Amino acid sequence: MKTSAIDVRELSFAYPDGTQALRGVSFRVEPGESVGLVGANGAGKSTLLLHLNGYLPVQRGSIDVAGIPLTAASAKEIRQRVGLIFQDPDDQLFMPTVEEDAAFGPLQMGLSKEEVERRVADALERVGLSDRRARPPYRLSAGEKRAAAIATVLAMSPEVLVMDEPSTHLDPRSRRRLIELLRALPQTRIIATHDLELVVETCSRVLVLSGGELVADGPTDALLNDEVLMLRHGLERPHILQHRHPHEAE
Amino acid sequence: MDDAARMDSSIHRLDPRTKIIGTLAFIVTVMSFDRYTVSALTPFVLYPLLLLAISRIPVEPILRKILIAAPFALLVGAFNPFFDRSPMLHIGSFAVSGGWISFTTIALRFFLTVAAALILIATTGMHRLCAGLERLGVPRAFVTQLLFLYRYLFVISGEGSRMVRSVQLRAGPSALPVRTYGTLVGTLLLRSFDRAERVHQAMIARGYDGSMRRLESQRFGWRDGMFVCGWILLFVAARRWNLAELLGNVLGRIAA
Amino acid sequence: MHMADALISPAVGGTLWAVSGGLILYCARKVRESAREILVPLMGVMGAFVFAAQMINVAIPGTGSSGHLAGGLMLAILLGPHAAFLVMASILTVQALFFADGGLLALGCNIFNLGFFGAFIAYPLVYRPIAGSSTSGAHTSVAALVAAIVALQLGALGVVVETVASGITDLRFSTFALLMQPIHLAIGVIEGIATAAVVAFVRRARPEIIVEAPVAAPRGSATLLYGGLILATLVVGGVLSWFASSHPDGLEWSIQQLTGQEELAAPEEGIHLRLATIQEKSAFLPDYSFKSAAESEPESETEVWPAVSAGTSVSGVVGGALTMIIAILIGMLFRRRTAGPPVKTG
Repeated sequence: MKTSAIDVRELSFAYPDGTQALRGVSFRVEPGESVGLVGANGAGKSTLLLHLNGYLPVQRGSIDVAGIPLTAASAKEIRQRVGLIFQDPDDQLFMPTVEEDAAFGPLQMGLSKEEVERRVADALERVGLSDRRARPPYRLSAGEKRAAAIATVLAMSPEVLVMDEPSTHLDPRSRRRLIELLRALPQTRIIATHDLELVVETCSRVLVLSGGELVADGPTDALLNDEVLMLRHGLERPHILQHRHPHEAE
Repeated sequence: MDDAARMDSSIHRLDPRTKIIGTLAFIVTVMSFDRYTVSALTPFVLYPLLLLAISRIPVEPILRKILIAAPFALLVGAFNPFFDRSPMLHIGSFAVSGGWISFTTIALRFFLTVAAALILIATTGMHRLCAGLERLGVPRAFVTQLLFLYRYLFVISGEGSRMVRSVQLRAGPSALPVRTYGTLVGTLLLRSFDRAERVHQAMIARGYDGSMRRLESQRFGWRDGMFVCGWILLFVAARRWNLAELLGNVLGRIAA
Repeated sequence: MHMADALISPAVGGTLWAVSGGLILYCARKVRESAREILVPLMGVMGAFVFAAQMINVAIPGTGSSGHLAGGLMLAILLGPHAAFLVMASILTVQALFFADGGLLALGCNIFNLGFFGAFIAYPLVYRPIAGSSTSGAHTSVAALVAAIVALQLGALGVVVETVASGITDLRFSTFALLMQPIHLAIGVIEGIATAAVVAFVRRARPEIIVEAPVAAPRGSATLLYGGLILATLVVGGVLSWFASSHPDGLEWSIQQLTGQEELAAPEEGIHLRLATIQEKSAFLPDYSFKSAAESEPESETEVWPAVSAGTSVSGVVGGALTMIIAILIGMLFRRRTAGPPVKTG
């Protein structure tokens, strides 16, 4: 039997203040798959993402990445396999220049200088930022910042890319470029977003989270076209799903 | 300043350590003159001017920054002419008091030292400067958070000014009442705390384990050696002998 | 209250560089030992926050005037003294480098004046005892106000002492102090009000942030901290007493301040001894005038500078002007030489 890229079983998590953020979530993602993760604000998307690369400890249930169970001991290795791209590129781009930022991950992995430089060059090439390598992050456009954030993770050569709201703050053209980039990447992808059109264009499968529970898991078109399902969870947070739903259904 | 730092010239290409040492040597030498020395200070003008010329960084922003910073030093120095009225120099029948001379040296030294520091940063850039500091033995924890400070300066100032604008749109452009101030600045503080947490998450996600490794791209080459040695020799010479006065004497002899 | 390079001597600047540098080394080690991984990014972001907060003005109740935060005390309350000192040091470094606010030579002085007193005196010795462990808002507000005033007064005194000891300005100690201390009383009140307002808000909104700050330094480090304190006091006291040698009333005054008593018995010897060694040391500095403003009466002036005769002065003026012109010409020449559009890599 082939090993899943990600295998989450009965994952539950509560924050120290008592908020139950995840309740018995189970799913698998196969290598090379592109999966959308949708749900209203507070549905547990971010909490789930922070679990996938070991930032939050597993309280109940289990997570396997490429067959390796996620524990405190394996977290460091898992982080090299699962690249996390944050919602605000300003949080992710913490180094003085694009180049140094892309080099951060590979350097922390203990790679040689030559290997680090090769990976940085490849990653920047991949996202089309080769001519921006010496720029400080605040001199990049929103689209370039997003691309740079993706490059910093690509430089670590992860097997899985996990993204939180990759299309926020992007103008239509930058968003289009992002979609093209996402479609061209060979890695397994998990994309958490409110941008359902982006999901339609980049993901073959969708997971719907609601109140910390996984309420639906299936092909993108089928689920997003299921008005009853959408509205049922949209009714809980109508401002997100309701507005966009009619467009998707066309 | 960062735009200037991303230009390219032989000054830009020098190892940051070279420029840090050169700048410090320059400042210490300039400040070691006594307060009645004007003419011997003038050769030192060469250092900032030459660096400006070779690096081709724009001059106006540097001048503007010097002028903005000038008032405090000049204000304190401006008392000298009132307290120190002993005549020290006669030009024809006109007597110049020691106070005016020391005021002139304060102004000149202010210009020289501030210009040197600004040129250092404008030809080096913050991140290379920090790398240089680290190689010179400044603790890593300090350098790293200095870099973070610089990185998030613009992000958080932007957040702060948007918040202030939104209050002032409703309340007018005056200073904020204490309560509003506490809420606004407190909120900005909490947001900054949250940002630090997210930055930390992003660092952890890319393998941060409490220590940060960086690409070492600096080499202390022969150009660096020449730069440091050349300038320090010149500084020592200009400190030891009053080059300007020598020049004046030579000229006087030729004229006679 | 940033000091500028132009007003301090290399000896004073260098001494305070050494003191501040030592404190940075010490604090960086404490921060590393604290093993709070988040501390380094947190410090950086908090530094950026203080920078931003310095641009926001608060109105002072009942006066019609306004001011802004300096932030040293606030940082100590949020991050603990060691991290706060490092953050203040970096804020001042950035200000010196990018805004020409204070200079590089004066950086040591500025770090000491604005960082040390807030983090290592006002916070542990004034704020914490007053604020205690009580959760009442009034307690912390009073504590912040008093601590801020103490920090700013000490900082202003530092500026005065360092400036006068440098001997570049002719301002007398008493004049300068009379100028600086009252102004910084007002600034300290503003700092206290601003700090109290923000701390009160954070305490209501997210109390865990303030509780999180490390409570006290472990015992081993306390000796080091106090060692540093004593060293710093020695330096400040030494400079102060040296200055005071030419200023008998000032000496009495400063010793009263230091010891809280008018009578001088054994301590006098100590101070004079220290004084002597410092004078001895300063004699090694070539051409360096440690002369205080008090001596600068006209007669002594000409005596101190007998070399200044009209002849050499004129050639100095002519030569100086020429040198300037030559330097400018060389600069322009080089600029021509390397002409062509500036190359940008971005």
